[in-house]
Amino acid sequence: MLTLRSLLRPSRRVHAHCDIPCGIYDPEQARIEAESCLRIIEKHDASDDTLFRNRCIHVKEERAELVKHHLDVLWHDYFKPEHLQKYPDLHDTFWKATKQASKVKQSLDTAAATELLSMIDTIDDMWKATGGLEKTRVNGRPS
Amino acid sequence: MSPPRIRLPLIAMLVGAAGTLAAGAAARRWLDAVEVRGSSMAPTLLPGDRLLVESSTYARRIPRLGELVLAPDPRQPARELVKRVAAIDAAAGTLELRGDAARASTDSRVFGTVPIAAVRWRVLARYWPLPRLHR
Repeated sequence: MLTLRSLLRPSRRVHAHCDIPCGIYDPEQARIEAESCLRIIEKHDASDDTLFRNRCIHVKEERAELVKHHLDVLWHDYFKPEHLQKYPDLHDTFWKATKQASKVKQSLDTAAATELLSMIDTIDDMWKATGGLEKTRVNGRPS
Repeated sequence: MSPPRIRLPLIAMLVGAAGTLAAGAAARRWLDAVEVRGSSMAPTLLPGDRLLVESSTYARRIPRLGELVLAPDPRQPARELVKRVAAIDAAAGTLELRGDAARASTDSRVFGTVPIAAVRWRVLARYWPLPRLHR
């Protein structure tokens, strides 16, 4: 019986492994929407048409909301506890980036939109360093 | 006269423990217990499940389609994977492995085939949390 009991104690762990939630999340999504915010602000500033300017604000707020959504998903679905060990400032980085997206949503400040892009790029670096690029992007995608 | 009364059971326990360890070590060469991590074999296997695995079958024959096996991750051989045999190329001596949760599994679709020779352990049964036989 003792032998059986010792035998039933697992000797090691085996991995039903999945690389990072499956290569479906890409910071590019957030970046595209953030780029859009910046360009919309520029178009807003260049126009005298009140209606057009109002539309710019409306669309820009939608896009900024999408930035927050994509960053949130990346944060809680892509990044794992082991990534937090590698990047202890991961939570802080996401918190600040999503806060920055709120700022872009609320304002017409091109500097804020540019700053948001650079914050997304920081997240993109972490994503690439954790193998996101290889696992996510399909061969043949235009660069 | 208290020292002998303490010492005798102690010696018996030590001998018993040594015997258990020896038997366990011998047994683990062909029968072993492992714990599952990760969810790529869901719903068949879930994280924390404990499996009985045996190595005598693949000493005699190659794995068969549908069997659950342990295999080293070709990209990181220290990591032992548990996956299902999805295809066999006996001529090439390779297997294709797949997780049951296909959309949440890193397997041969990513790391390619695995040499049959690298696959030693077959999953016999899950004994925890509930006994359930696999083929």
